[in-house]
Amino acid sequence: MNDVGVPGGMASADDEILLADIGRLFDELDPVPGDLVQRVQFALALEDLDVEVARWERLDTLAGVRGSGTGTITFTVSDLTVMINLTKIGKQHRIDGWLVPAGQYGVEVRVAEHGTSSTTADEGGRFVLDNVPRGTTQILVHLGDVSCRRTIVTPTVVL
Amino acid sequence: MTDVQTAEVDPPWEGLTGAELHAACMHAAREGDRQAMARLVDELTPLVWHVARANGLDRSVAEDVVQTVWLALFSQLGKLRDPKALAAWLITTTRREATHPHGRRMQPVPLSDEVAEAMPSTQPAPEDEAVRADRDRRVWRAFVRLPHRCQELLRLTVLAGRAEYQLVAEALRMPRGSVGPTRGRCLDQMRDLLASEGGSR
Repeated sequence: MNDVGVPGGMASADDEILLADIGRLFDELDPVPGDLVQRVQFALALEDLDVEVARWERLDTLAGVRGSGTGTITFTVSDLTVMINLTKIGKQHRIDGWLVPAGQYGVEVRVAEHGTSSTTADEGGRFVLDNVPRGTTQILVHLGDVSCRRTIVTPTVVL
Repeated sequence: MTDVQTAEVDPPWEGLTGAELHAACMHAAREGDRQAMARLVDELTPLVWHVARANGLDRSVAEDVVQTVWLALFSQLGKLRDPKALAAWLITTTRREATHPHGRRMQPVPLSDEVAEAMPSTQPAPEDEAVRADRDRRVWRAFVRLPHRCQELLRLTVLAGRAEYQLVAEALRMPRGSVGPTRGRCLDQMRDLLASEGGSR
């Protein structure tokens, strides 16, 4: 880190000061969120890690959903889109979901410290999960049959 | 196969640091050792975080991307044979996720001021504290106005200077030695931004 060796006559000590400032500032102002490692560990605590990772979409909307407990969110992976509608009922959620393309796939919702709720989508790709606790949540969709099984997972999100 | 032995025997990476630690953990993780994965996540999440933030993601999106990157790593660990390539893989994958076209990237504005605004500027503070806080705010504003490439390079440079991120230093050396001059230009640009805001440096 000391061998910055910048041409043009600028003193390297100057660079060091600025780099030290940047380091101090990102530690102070932009620290890694305290629970992030824990959430990653939860997201990874799957029986089988041979998974495809979906992306949450429309994050502007998602930002509003986080923590408020109500709203619609979408996530996608190559050839599958999952839409989730959340309804807050007391301390729990009802989750109405829709898989596109439709199929009778297994759906699991994991909530940290609350275990897993699971169901199977109907022919139209719709599924409902009642009484889902609120908290750090991850959704899994199992596609295909025994011969060609694929599992899609989302990053966790606090719902 | 791993849970059985954990209670009594130290894991094989116990006492190792830096590149050796990562290599031992990668090896064990490939065999399905969850503790080894957890250790890597503990150690290297800050690296992934800083790359995500440097590439223009706001904090909540960066959190998603950090998880996505780790899930992606462990779902295809077999493909990454060389532990020395781990840092480069994490950096490249995070960058790719951050710039994914599906509206991933938030507006560039929130990143700039979000953090500086959060600084405790209204708290009663001794005079020199206030001066320092003011300079900090200006330095941070200048920093977040740099191109993403510069922000990333400078964040990685800072990490690479810390003992536990030796592998970042190695990853930075990889792109054909152009890092030094580029870093110099980024720092120059930052000084220009600072100067144009009016101030001591």
